[in-house]
Amino acid sequence: MARASNVVGRTLVVIPALNECKSLPATLAKLRADAPQFDVLVIDDGSRDGTAQVARAHGIPVVRHAFNLGVGAAMQTAFRYAIEHGYDMAVQFDADGQHDAKDLAAVVAPVADGRCDVSIGSRYVTSTGYRAPLTRRMGMLLFSGLVRLALKQRIADTTSGFRAYGRAAMEVCQHDFPRDFPDAPLLIMLARRGFTLLEVPAHMHERVAGKSFYTLGKSLYYPYKNLLASLMALLQRPR
Amino acid sequence: MFLSRTQIIAAMAAVGFAMFVLDLVRRRKLSEDFSLLWLLSTAGIALLGFSTGVLQAVTRALGIMYESSTVFAAGIGFTVVLLLYVSVRLSRLAHENLLLTRELALLRRTLEERTGAALRSDDGGEAAR
Repeated sequence: MARASNVVGRTLVVIPALNECKSLPATLAKLRADAPQFDVLVIDDGSRDGTAQVARAHGIPVVRHAFNLGVGAAMQTAFRYAIEHGYDMAVQFDADGQHDAKDLAAVVAPVADGRCDVSIGSRYVTSTGYRAPLTRRMGMLLFSGLVRLALKQRIADTTSGFRAYGRAAMEVCQHDFPRDFPDAPLLIMLARRGFTLLEVPAHMHERVAGKSFYTLGKSLYYPYKNLLASLMALLQRPR
Repeated sequence: MFLSRTQIIAAMAAVGFAMFVLDLVRRRKLSEDFSLLWLLSTAGIALLGFSTGVLQAVTRALGIMYESSTVFAAGIGFTVVLLLYVSVRLSRLAHENLLLTRELALLRRTLEERTGAALRSDDGGEAAR
């Protein structure tokens, strides 16, 4: 593990991975080259392609789920690990190479500076050249509007997985975190608990290899699940 | 009072089913708490089957035309309640399963940190090998 610098506090970059043995080496190499000051942890969420072995071969610690639990559960495991190992922040970073390691410092900075509890690496704060497919854009518009209604705050990129969590947010999220789609419902839950959110510009690249998490079935299930979970997040008393 | 053929069949089936449920509990194939709902539902069906007065009263109260329809409606009602109960129990079990799996993963990592070696007994690399 690389040693974190004092500027960013103790920050753990978390890579939740499911069958990402092909894309992981490039992602880890970019992290080592562009953000060597951060410690990295791979959560192998029940991969069957040797993802854990690839990560270990690169000297990265791995926490492996015996079977697939979903990205939310993977992040909960990561938060617990980060807290137990004394980290002040944890950043979710995609294994497929879509996130840019050069943006890590900018995503972490608002949390490290105490400007917010959770910062979101956003593709839409400033133009980063990213253009999502039409169906995804419609979904983003819907959930962005929902979050805006609920929080009275504009979060343009509700589906971004590139997020930095401060210690207090991690303490809560290790117990309470959406299992499948930690998007709009999570943002609503965090805001209702009094956590502050902030978007910072981030770049998004095409995935290096592997398949997208959003299969056809999940694309159909996603709006239903997220709408219901968002509504529940608004109605539920925080645990 | 005269019992219709449907009533007799429903009542006998309910009694037979209740005995089967009790046998499952005896053989530890079904837990006592799950058996309670099954026994309550079969007792309800049996009551409607054996007591024409109760069946007619319930049928009139619900505005149903035929007594046999009441028996089937009761069966469907109990089934829906049971399915909901099982869904709630399954949701809880799934959550507990998730917690245990996460706990196991972290314990495994702690062990690896202490021993300094990766545990490779189930590393998910079968496809790669």
